[in-house]
Amino acid sequence: MSAITAHKDPKLPPPVALPEDASWVGALSLFDAQAAETLVAVVRTLYPHDGLPERIYRRTVFHFDAMASKAPAAAQVFAEFIDMADSALPLPFRELSEGYRVQVLKTLEASAPFRLVQRSAVRFLYDDVEVWQAFGYEGASVHLGGYVNRGFNDLDWLPDPPAGV
Amino acid sequence: MTAYSLDDDGVVVIIGSGAGGGTLAHELARRGIDVVLLEAGKHLTAEDFVNDEWGGYEMLSWLDKRTSSGTWRVAKDHPLTPSWSCQVVGGTTTHWSACCYRFIADELRARTVYGEIPGTTLIDWPITLDELNPYYDLAEAKMGVTRTNGLPALPANNNFKVMHAGATALGLNVTTGRHAINTIPYDGRPATIQDGFTITGDKTGARWSTLNVELPKGLATGKLELRAQSRAVFIEHDAAGKASAVLYVDAEGVTHRQKARAVVLAGNCVESSRLLLHSKSARFPDGLANGYGHVGRHYLRHLIQTVWSTFDKPVHMHRGEIMGGMIDDFVRHDPARGYAGGFYIEMNSMGLPTTAAFMEPGWWGRDFASVIEQYANMAGIFMSGEDMPQADNRITLTDELDAYGVPVANIHYDDHPNDLKMRSHGYKVLTSIHKAAGAKRSVEAPAYPASHNLGSNRMAAKAEDGVLDGNCRAWEVPNLFIADGSNFATGGACNPTLTIVALAIRQADFMARQMAAGEL
Ligand SMILES: Cc1cc2nc3c(=O)[nH]c(=O)nc-3n(C[C@H](O)[C@H](O)[C@H](O)COP(=O)(O)OP(=O)(O)OC[C@H]3O[C@@H](n4cnc5c(N)ncnc54)[C@H](O)[C@@H]3O)c2cc1C
Repeated sequence: MSAITAHKDPKLPPPVALPEDASWVGALSLFDAQAAETLVAVVRTLYPHDGLPERIYRRTVFHFDAMASKAPAAAQVFAEFIDMADSALPLPFRELSEGYRVQVLKTLEASAPFRLVQRSAVRFLYDDVEVWQAFGYEGASVHLGGYVNRGFNDLDWLPDPPAGV
Repeated sequence: MTAYSLDDDGVVVIIGSGAGGGTLAHELARRGIDVVLLEAGKHLTAEDFVNDEWGGYEMLSWLDKRTSSGTWRVAKDHPLTPSWSCQVVGGTTTHWSACCYRFIADELRARTVYGEIPGTTLIDWPITLDELNPYYDLAEAKMGVTRTNGLPALPANNNFKVMHAGATALGLNVTTGRHAINTIPYDGRPATIQDGFTITGDKTGARWSTLNVELPKGLATGKLELRAQSRAVFIEHDAAGKASAVLYVDAEGVTHRQKARAVVLAGNCVESSRLLLHSKSARFPDGLANGYGHVGRHYLRHLIQTVWSTFDKPVHMHRGEIMGGMIDDFVRHDPARGYAGGFYIEMNSMGLPTTAAFMEPGWWGRDFASVIEQYANMAGIFMSGEDMPQADNRITLTDELDAYGVPVANIHYDDHPNDLKMRSHGYKVLTSIHKAAGAKRSVEAPAYPASHNLGSNRMAAKAEDGVLDGNCRAWEVPNLFIADGSNFATGGACNPTLTIVALAIRQADFMARQMAAGEL
């Protein structure tokens, strides 16, 4: 999309590598396949970026799983949320079309479980270096010498302000 | 390494090593005064910091639970983290973006200049700008503020070019502003490499913080002892009503009692009020220094908000120092605008992770997705305006205890009509600047958790109007001081840290004089 390269700080772990097929759920410690795939569908409905591959949404759910396995209270809320999403209409959430999925999520919007899922989705999805790359955020820079020689003032479609302004 | 004994009652005990406490610790130590500095957080170094928004946030922030109530948006969006500060040696100066502006004279006479405004508790400051100016000079010099002391301004970056084009088209006065960020090497610290990560700890040291300037200098005097991971939980007083000791809990969970000649609170507003309210005794049944009931009240957090706009072409706002832009046309009180007080317009940039989180918490769906996808073409512009003090906007103690047995604080804040009028005008101006630069779409982002926490232990000319006198000393406890922004009598419009630092230097002068005269 844009001619940039996104970098995570070298001190932080690289993004987890998940299998590209249905076996990815094996990497989870708490959620079963049904829960995990439902959450993937939920995160995609919340933040529908058609150009982003499935693995990014799976990684977000991988982070939910890590959160839930550390905090039983959060695990409980995720489980509650999945129940709510699955029982809202005669079909399980995953099998609904996008329009119905949106309708279900709108009915849940005011609930505490929705809030946890939605906030966690923002927290982890937009922290994914592949999303940074796709949307043009380059991230960590000190290890590359900052942006002083890498375009901090390269915008050229507006007039340059006078020096020292 | 200097080490004082717990029974040494000749030391000044300062609680909190951020802008106020860290500066005061150095300024007292350099005047030859013995100081014990208690800091709840860890002593991290530039090595520990990461160039990562969430990584930095989780490493540095004060994450202990708080609750919130009132009509402010923050209570809905961030109910358990209503206020934003750090728990680390250096406090929130490890995280701040270093805008450094001075109060104007009218702001220090808010009650007189703005007049009677129903529902507010406006007062004039007990000090004038003339009294403060020499200390502003000292603060700017120690912090290396651009455009002062011959230091060059920050250069224009991409986000600033957008702001500049829009502001100039509207005839506004726009510059890159003033920052405690080196543009050339200064005071042994390097020039910025425009990394854009001063707010996750600053790995290069180009930006002033107490961690990289005040504390090393203070420690070098041999007069300062810094105790990290030391959480103050109670302030004791003696029979004469003077502060006599601070109870604190160390990293191992052991409680100690450090005796004190004087005690200074600098825990970033909420924590200082919380500690005073919690330090109850027979003599101070409502909390230390709270005989007039002002502790925790008149809490301020500035009218802070951002407009994010998308453009046809790339901006790459994340490149470079994040707040290098300022417009001062709306700072002066102008009754014709229909509200009291003024605001600064400043540039704002965030990375993708926090732009997504703060643009409109709770927003989801295709519309949000279509905006955030254009991150590369996005610019940000921000304002910091004066909010009105109100008696019931306040910090109180809840029934829930934290891990140290201290009650969790609640922050209550109702927007005053004046606040809403200024916010609405502000959004219009911010949006018009971006529109004038060619914005396709502008999003009015709400306030994020309060980053300018002020006023909750305010100074006042009379004891019945505030907690502190004009030297930031408690009216009711003559050896108890406050060195954080809770001492502000009113908020003014500008980012508060330069003023916190100037007041801390002034306080050091006062304390040293009092000690020399045998009165403290
Ligand atoms: C994202 C962000 C950007 C900012 N940018 C700017 C800016 O550009 N310009 C500006 O002027 N201001 C800015 N600020 C505000 C600035 O950071 C604060 O005004 C300033 O740091 C406040 O100083 P302080 O001494 O009151 O508190 P802090 O700097 O927060 O220090 C308080 C310290 O006290 C410690 N503490 C608290 N309670 C206890 C206890 N019980 N025992 C022991 N230690 C304790 C804390 O751990 C902390 O280290 C920004 C703030 C944020 C969050």
